[in-house]
Amino acid sequence: MEISPVFFYLFAGMAIAFSLVTVLKKNPAASAFSLVMVFFAFAGIYALLDAHLIATLQILVYAGAIMVLFIFVIMLLSADVPSFDLGRSHVTLRGAAAGLGLVLLAVLVWVFKNSTPAAGSGLFTVDRVVAAGGNTQVISELMFSQYLWPFELTSVLLLTAIIGAVAIAKRRPAHAAQAATKGVRS
Amino acid sequence: MDSPIINPEFLTISPEQIRALTPYLVVFGGALLAIVLSVLRVVQPKWPVFIAVLLTALAGAAASQMLAPEAEVSLFGGMMVSDTYSNIFNILFLMSAAFTLLVSFKYLDTERMQHPEYYVLVLLSALGMMLMTSAIDLIVIFIALETLSLGVYVLVGFRRADRRSNEAAVKYFILGSAASAIFLYGTALLYGASGSVRIDQILSLVHSGGAEVSTPLFALGAWLVILGFLFKVASVPFHMWMPDVYEGAPVPVTGFMTTGLKAAAFATFLRVFLGLGYGSGLTAVIQSHIHDVLWVCAVLTMVIGNVVALTQTNLKRMLAYSSIAHTGYLLVGMITGTASADGYASVVLYLVAYAAMNLGAFAVLSILATKDDVGLNLQDLSGLSRKHPLLALAMAVFLFSMAGVPPTAGFVAKYQLFYGAVQAGEIPLVVISVLCSAISVYYYLRVLVFMYMREPVAGAGSDKRSVSPWAAIAVLGMVFATLQMGVIPAKMISAARRAVASL
Repeated sequence: MEISPVFFYLFAGMAIAFSLVTVLKKNPAASAFSLVMVFFAFAGIYALLDAHLIATLQILVYAGAIMVLFIFVIMLLSADVPSFDLGRSHVTLRGAAAGLGLVLLAVLVWVFKNSTPAAGSGLFTVDRVVAAGGNTQVISELMFSQYLWPFELTSVLLLTAIIGAVAIAKRRPAHAAQAATKGVRS
Repeated sequence: MDSPIINPEFLTISPEQIRALTPYLVVFGGALLAIVLSVLRVVQPKWPVFIAVLLTALAGAAASQMLAPEAEVSLFGGMMVSDTYSNIFNILFLMSAAFTLLVSFKYLDTERMQHPEYYVLVLLSALGMMLMTSAIDLIVIFIALETLSLGVYVLVGFRRADRRSNEAAVKYFILGSAASAIFLYGTALLYGASGSVRIDQILSLVHSGGAEVSTPLFALGAWLVILGFLFKVASVPFHMWMPDVYEGAPVPVTGFMTTGLKAAAFATFLRVFLGLGYGSGLTAVIQSHIHDVLWVCAVLTMVIGNVVALTQTNLKRMLAYSSIAHTGYLLVGMITGTASADGYASVVLYLVAYAAMNLGAFAVLSILATKDDVGLNLQDLSGLSRKHPLLALAMAVFLFSMAGVPPTAGFVAKYQLFYGAVQAGEIPLVVISVLCSAISVYYYLRVLVFMYMREPVAGAGSDKRSVSPWAAIAVLGMVFATLQMGVIPAKMISAARRAVASL
């Protein structure tokens, strides 16, 4: 199936424009909201690629859950005061970063121009996926059969993350609070 | 498989597969038990959690020891494998976790941060390392990598009241996430190019010389995966994070990072690296590209690590740079492994030897550290031989071993590694390695000079430190391991050979 070029350029343009806003805006809340727009644009591109489940998940999980968390954190930390200034002193650094980014872009463009995907994307062609009951069914069946092990391991990963979060977020002991008032402020 | 359906063989586990999974199940069960114990308010949680986690690590290591000589078992439809290679590394990770725990117990009291989460995180990171080394599926490798990284990020920032520790944790977290992203992107490109995330299937594609693996897409994917690993092992263009992180982390955690984390990254690197076809089946052009790039990385890593270590006065920083230098030696082994008689066995041997001596050195430093990790400068070690003759002697053994002086583990490991490189015909590389190794003798021996030939100075940490029995066990164990591997290396060498043969 061909992707409609109009919609592709619309969503791709949106994604690029809002990514730039995300990086360039000083205000973290504005950055976060433009990141939400980037995720919406990605979801549009996924939908054009017939990956409807991924498109929905992108909106639900990234634009929904994760970004809401981001914005809560920004709100609670009241991070609208910039904690550091990446002013003029870093102009050369910025230039180098932009230059390297462009080099990477050139490499990627060259690579994708000169490569064809593996043998027509293997097992999961559009027709086959439709015949097997659509994206959602195929993904869920694979996730709970062939990819059960990585799926279960993710819970170990999340457990580690939770314990780490508890260890970091626990109430400070008294002596730590004293040290904090002596100038070591987090 | 015309239409993807639930395949019953993926949902059943045979008894021998359960058996092969024992170490992982034991460690995960122990971690859960420790979590439950740490919320019990009946007693002070540190004792039950410490003992549970320690016993779990030892039990897991024993299970791996039992499984090591057995035949290879493929798990979960070939996503993971339990072979001699993975089991020998499991022992290494769990022992390094156990010794880290022994050393940490008193240290956490001194720092007044005796939180049970510390022990659980060490155990879960070790589980991540075990899973990563035994995985042959890039998705599983990635999840395991994240598990161990998340645990270690938090451990690095465990001294929350200390600004250096915070800075180290944030720096490590951001750079480590970037490296993970690079690795993941490489994985995605490899999947796009080859249609598989299993490294054994990718390797068979490489061997059959399919059109899929000669595209730039495959090459870029492979490069990004290799770059991700080079970052994790802190090879030179990607080493900037390491000294700050090592300095900021609590001392026992630094020891754990230099041994467990580095061994896990290298062990998996080796598996994936060979899986991507290095030394067998790649076209001559790609082979020589990878060879040249790694050659430059190895030389830069050795030279920069050793030269910068010369000027360090903080011991943690000095050992951090020396750890970079050791990464360089290991890269030498990676480059030349395919062409030498012993193959990659010398890399495995070096990882084990390095783990023993480095854990030992950091154990001594953890005993000497006063609150907030002060007292780890060279001057603070002046006259250590008068205050703590035995500790000074142990430290001397570890430093001699790192410098590669016989009869220690470091000598045997370096000898095997460089001998393999000579067999592979990499004479310039060997000359550079040996010269670098000679440079390193200076900064290792300088510590000895301070310990044995200087008068004690007054200042932070000048009082006599009390040594906890747990830490004493750890130091003794490591001295024993270092000397044993140095005097009777045959056993360890043959174990390393068997491990590599099962790859």
